[in-house]
Amino acid sequence: MDDLLNDFLAETAELLAEAGATIVAWEADPTDRERLDAIFRLVHTIKGSSGFLALPRVTALSHAAEEALDDVRRGKRTADSALVTAVLSILDRLSFVCDALGKDANEPAGDDGDVIDALAQVETEADAVAEPEPEPEPEAENREIRTRRDDDLQTDMQGWRSIRVPLPLLDSVMTGVTDIVLARNEFARMLRESGADPAVIGSFDRLSDSIATMRQSVSQMRMQRIDKLFAPLPRIVRDLAQDLGKKVKFVTSGGEVELDREMMENIRDPLIHMVRNAIDHGIETLDDRVAAGKDVTATISVTARQSGNQIEIMIADDGRGLSPDALVAKAIGARVLSAAEARALSPKEKLELIFRPGFSTASQVTSISGRGVGMDIVRANLEKIGGVVELRNEEGRGLTVVLRVPMTLTIISGLMVRAAGQYFAIPRGAVREILLETSDSVRIEKLGGGEIVSVRGEQFPLLRLEDVLGRHRDDGDDADDRALVLIRPGQDQSYALSVAAIHDHEELVIKPAAPMIMATGLYAGTTLPDNGRPVLLLDVQGILAVSAIDASEAGRAHQQAEEADAALAATRDATQLLLFRDIGGRTRGVRLSVIERVEEVPALALFESAGAIRAQIGDDMFAVHAARLPEGHGTVKLLRLHDGQSVLCYPIEAVIDIVRLPDVVEPSATEGLIAGVVLIGGDPVEIIDPYWLMEQHARGPIHAAPRAPLCRLTDDHDGWGANFLAPILRSAGYRIAAGADDDEAPDVLLCLSGDESACDHGTDAVPVIRLRATAASAGPDDETVYRYDRHALLEALSRRVGGGRA
Amino acid sequence: MDNLYLVARIADTRVALRSRAINSVVTVATPVEVPGAPPHVVGLFALRSRVFTLIDPHVVVGLPPVPVAAGQRVIVVDVAEHGYALLADEIEDVCFIEAAETRIAGKLMPGWARVADAMIEHQGASLLVVDPAHFVTIPVVNAA
Repeated sequence: MDDLLNDFLAETAELLAEAGATIVAWEADPTDRERLDAIFRLVHTIKGSSGFLALPRVTALSHAAEEALDDVRRGKRTADSALVTAVLSILDRLSFVCDALGKDANEPAGDDGDVIDALAQVETEADAVAEPEPEPEPEAENREIRTRRDDDLQTDMQGWRSIRVPLPLLDSVMTGVTDIVLARNEFARMLRESGADPAVIGSFDRLSDSIATMRQSVSQMRMQRIDKLFAPLPRIVRDLAQDLGKKVKFVTSGGEVELDREMMENIRDPLIHMVRNAIDHGIETLDDRVAAGKDVTATISVTARQSGNQIEIMIADDGRGLSPDALVAKAIGARVLSAAEARALSPKEKLELIFRPGFSTASQVTSISGRGVGMDIVRANLEKIGGVVELRNEEGRGLTVVLRVPMTLTIISGLMVRAAGQYFAIPRGAVREILLETSDSVRIEKLGGGEIVSVRGEQFPLLRLEDVLGRHRDDGDDADDRALVLIRPGQDQSYALSVAAIHDHEELVIKPAAPMIMATGLYAGTTLPDNGRPVLLLDVQGILAVSAIDASEAGRAHQQAEEADAALAATRDATQLLLFRDIGGRTRGVRLSVIERVEEVPALALFESAGAIRAQIGDDMFAVHAARLPEGHGTVKLLRLHDGQSVLCYPIEAVIDIVRLPDVVEPSATEGLIAGVVLIGGDPVEIIDPYWLMEQHARGPIHAAPRAPLCRLTDDHDGWGANFLAPILRSAGYRIAAGADDDEAPDVLLCLSGDESACDHGTDAVPVIRLRATAASAGPDDETVYRYDRHALLEALSRRVGGGRA
Repeated sequence: MDNLYLVARIADTRVALRSRAINSVVTVATPVEVPGAPPHVVGLFALRSRVFTLIDPHVVVGLPPVPVAAGQRVIVVDVAEHGYALLADEIEDVCFIEAAETRIAGKLMPGWARVADAMIEHQGASLLVVDPAHFVTIPVVNAA
């Protein structure tokens, strides 16, 4: 973290100096869009870097400036001198805070409301912009928190101190030291040959050692492991994912690749932008992911690898990818493209729209990844160092952004091997294992003109380096020295390279070879080891391509594949549980298999009718398991449970995760919504009983059985039956027929007149219920039902029909 | 400075090379071979911690390659930020040539026709004016 802060301070100081100068030049010509964009990017960069260092004041300040400048970019505001003054005072305050940070390593306490407000009000009150007030002393408690002793602080402060050195100077130091090393080697050889005095050799050795140390320091001056670039990412991912309520798994690999410091500086921001974009725009919400049948936890991976004379950094997510058509619509909306231009674009060009300045894929501006400045900055930064950005888009399945940068001055750990009488280097990172060909665990077989090798049961295609290079074996080689280098050039690929001998490991400075040498596809560059004889670095991936062999591991070693399948099947069979937070805020779970999908609907789509809550989704109406309507006018998330016939919606607050249902379920004592309780991650989770839920709502009339009992109303002289009674009966699941003109035999007759003679239709097969108009019954034998006694009426009906209601 | 030339014999022909195109003239030890590289690439050698690619001009103009003798002199040039060296049969002189470069009269071998820019008179003889970069960038003639 100390390093990061240090870098941030050095960088910010530089940026601020630059921004101040540019902003004044811009004031002179407010129409200069290019300058405005440049200033905007500057403050955006400061905001971005400060965000992950947790410097709230710096973030707030730069955010305010960014906001105002963005308004100008969008034409909502004009750039006048008052605005420029306000932005400048923000920049002044920023440098003050950064200075304090440099001395203290703590952001000083203080309020920046004055300058921020000044910026906001500058349009109306230009005078309000005053010089920034002197900063209050950091509060006492701030000091007391520090428990380090003073001398600790002292050494720490030494650590903070750094100067920025021009890169050409570093380069010349580097070349100078390499020259010294070569001269030393030459000198050492001459000393040995001349049989010099041991005292002379002794002091030469001391010189030699210090040269070696110096060379190492000089290398470190320029080189850094790419790890350093990856270090802040997990934190960014974590915080951002939490803010957005997304679940993200973050993986990095290839951190051991070393990269030139200058490259590093240029890649840092693009990388952070890309990762933020991936989380903010790329990864769907939990519900969308469930709906799309994806794992709730999204994966973002950042991979660095060396490919030829380039370093390739891939930022891959498994989110929704880019939609070319949406991009076009967006670009037209943002007026960066006319409709006519849009028609002429190829799909690839459509994707590249995201690199246009002022373009943003998010429909809303968020404080997280901002306004689409990301992509044009990414491209600008990379092009500055001769790199390229490439998009690999799979709409709906994810986006991979590949950053390729030249590797010019890259130090890698190399394995030196010999073949055809000369030395070659193999990047150590690609080497999986080294074996002697004579080893017992190696079996080489000739197979149809080619060769394969089995190492402990695993098979690899075998290439002989001499054959690959089109050379003959050197006669001086000892057959016992021949070794196999198992190479893994990429994910799920491997092959064995047979070489005449293994020499040693060396730290190598790789430089690109001449174009005609790179064009062979066999070499990734050249390097100059201590002996002063150039060595070619083999391109382990290129060798595969040149030899035209399939090195993919898929399909090899059948047994393993079967095991993997079995393991996969086992996971698939395990019951999965969808964890969600219900409306009451409680964590509950339901078997994933009963969930048809997760739906998000406006709260207004839910309505109450006939004592039940229903949801209208598209043209369909579904029962909702809820006691009352949701409050507010936002949206409601609904789990759609499906039992094969009917659908029931269960409102939830949010989807949490999908987990394996534990084997032990504590059943609940009574039948009801909750079937039981399980422990997930140490917390009790109530499991919803879908059977019970469905049972409750299966009674609902919406999906009633098609053959509903027919109820005929007779003697309905005043229309009371049709107007008052029929709706109740219909909602209770009966079909209603009035009068005697219907041919279908009714299941029950309802006689609306208490007069016995009135309903004598003479068909004993049909049960008859008579309704009376008075509440009091005529006597104990009176079988009539009072016409406003709903309960008794329905009960009588169901008794007669034999369970009209299921 | 503009009319300073390096007069040398490369690929069995006396040529004049414009001095501003040339980095230096050095001697080389045995170069490191590059298996699989095009035939005009003799190999690699290091010079003050830089790696240079050694080119055999014989092959470029369509002649059979010649072996590199230890201590042979080479002409070091930079082309597109890469260091190259041209194998020279003989380095004669570095001198100012007052005469103007003239259009090439007469028919050259196809290989030479592609690398030669002009002709120049020097001490009573005509020399081809050659851009060393052409030896690097032009594809090799197939010696038929």
